[in-house]
Amino acid sequence: MIVFWFLIKEGFRGLIRSNYAGAFSIIIIALSLVLIGFGYVGARDTLVLVENIRSQFDITVFVQRDASLNDLENFARELGDIKDIEQIVYISTDSAATKFRLEFGEDIFNILDYNPLPPSFTLSLKPPSRNLASVERVAARIRRSAIVDEVKYRKNFLRLLEKYQRLIFFSVITAFALLTLISIILASNSIKMTIFSRREVISTMKLVGATNNFVRAPFLIEGTLEGIIGAFLAAVVIGLSFHFVNNYLQDLIEYRAIVSYRFYGGLILLGSLMGLVGSLRAIRKFLV
Amino acid sequence: MITFFNASCTFGKDAGIKNINLSINEGEFVFITGSSGAGKSTLLRLIYMDLFPEKGKVVIRNFDSSKVRPSEIPFLRRKVGMIFQDFRLLDDRNVYQNVALSLYVSHYKTKEIKTRVYNVLNQVGLGHRIYYRPGELSGGEQQRVAIARALVKEPVVLLADEPTGNLDPRVSSDLMSLLTKINQKGTAVIVATHNYSLIPRVSNARLIQVHEGEIVNPV
Repeated sequence: MIVFWFLIKEGFRGLIRSNYAGAFSIIIIALSLVLIGFGYVGARDTLVLVENIRSQFDITVFVQRDASLNDLENFARELGDIKDIEQIVYISTDSAATKFRLEFGEDIFNILDYNPLPPSFTLSLKPPSRNLASVERVAARIRRSAIVDEVKYRKNFLRLLEKYQRLIFFSVITAFALLTLISIILASNSIKMTIFSRREVISTMKLVGATNNFVRAPFLIEGTLEGIIGAFLAAVVIGLSFHFVNNYLQDLIEYRAIVSYRFYGGLILLGSLMGLVGSLRAIRKFLV
Repeated sequence: MITFFNASCTFGKDAGIKNINLSINEGEFVFITGSSGAGKSTLLRLIYMDLFPEKGKVVIRNFDSSKVRPSEIPFLRRKVGMIFQDFRLLDDRNVYQNVALSLYVSHYKTKEIKTRVYNVLNQVGLGHRIYYRPGELSGGEQQRVAIARALVKEPVVLLADEPTGNLDPRVSSDLMSLLTKINQKGTAVIVATHNYSLIPRVSNARLIQVHEGEIVNPV
């Protein structure tokens, strides 16, 4: 326990004495976390938006005009058995005509003397099935039914949506990994400068019988503290930016950036990990 | 306690030691003399395993240089005290903290650390300088802090590498008296020096002369 407090004290002492090198590590970690934080929130909200668009996606199944009520009921039951389907809405020929009038402002009977609109089912899928593969599978199954005339859905739209969703996802992951790596390397290099300036302390500690772990611990504590301070600064910058967007830019953009305390907790955790890994990497060179 | 078995450790063309056979017993006072570059410091560095022989081996108690693992070296150094010409004190810590460092690394309890540090500082005559930083002390006082730091862990041997190199003759004489007292309490003392005037100050000391990496007088 005494050794534990001694090492904690040494870590704080190192942080105070690290001056510019320590400040540099803190700034690097803070900048990276600001970018990671904004990137995360931006990507998260874009993906939510994409998911919203996706949730409005539906499949329209046109059935034969002369299908009997019994056929329609059987078909509806068939649809109900498909696990991917979340909701089934039946649109009769009359409802279709009403929908036409509401959408185009003209009565179909004024254009033609009869109602050519077939009865149809509008299907929305469960969230996990709102992807091209599932949609195609469901469509293929529905097409097998004799009552079905045509199955329509926006295939290209869905394909495009998936492509961009993947692009956003991988861009965010890549940017996150790169930023984390770069900040670990930069923080580690500045910690290395700090350690280099204190090589005498290291050599004295080793001369009096300190184990490598004993020598290493204060530097790891120092690096972790730098990471936490950097993360705290990043959290302040991000928090203030979101406060500004949410309170002063509402007339210009319809966007509210909302993050939970878990987000800030994650930033602190990531910052401390960056500092810890950076100092581990740095001290390795000085302990043989 | 310390035995060199045909040990060689060289750097560059001539520096280092060659085929040294040497045995030092518990409680002995030994001077290792020779000119600069003769191999005195190499002998000491081999004892605290800062260097390892290319040929032969050095055995310090149960630590054998040919078998020791890197993780065991700190435990050897807790048994060996070291003082240097440049003192190697940490400037940002006071006398107490410099001395206590040796005990913190060995995981002593706070009460034990306090008792031992105060005792050893009184022993070297620095009880009144506990809260001074090294920069506020004279050369002689700094060397005594270094001795206190080495002694506080109660080593079996105290190694001194040119301990009077930065001290004036009067302070050097005081320092030798202190080392003699330490030796009389049972700690072996090995002093590497090219200052021959120190030798007559210790009556029962053994003299080992080193020249170009070899021992030249009978041991």
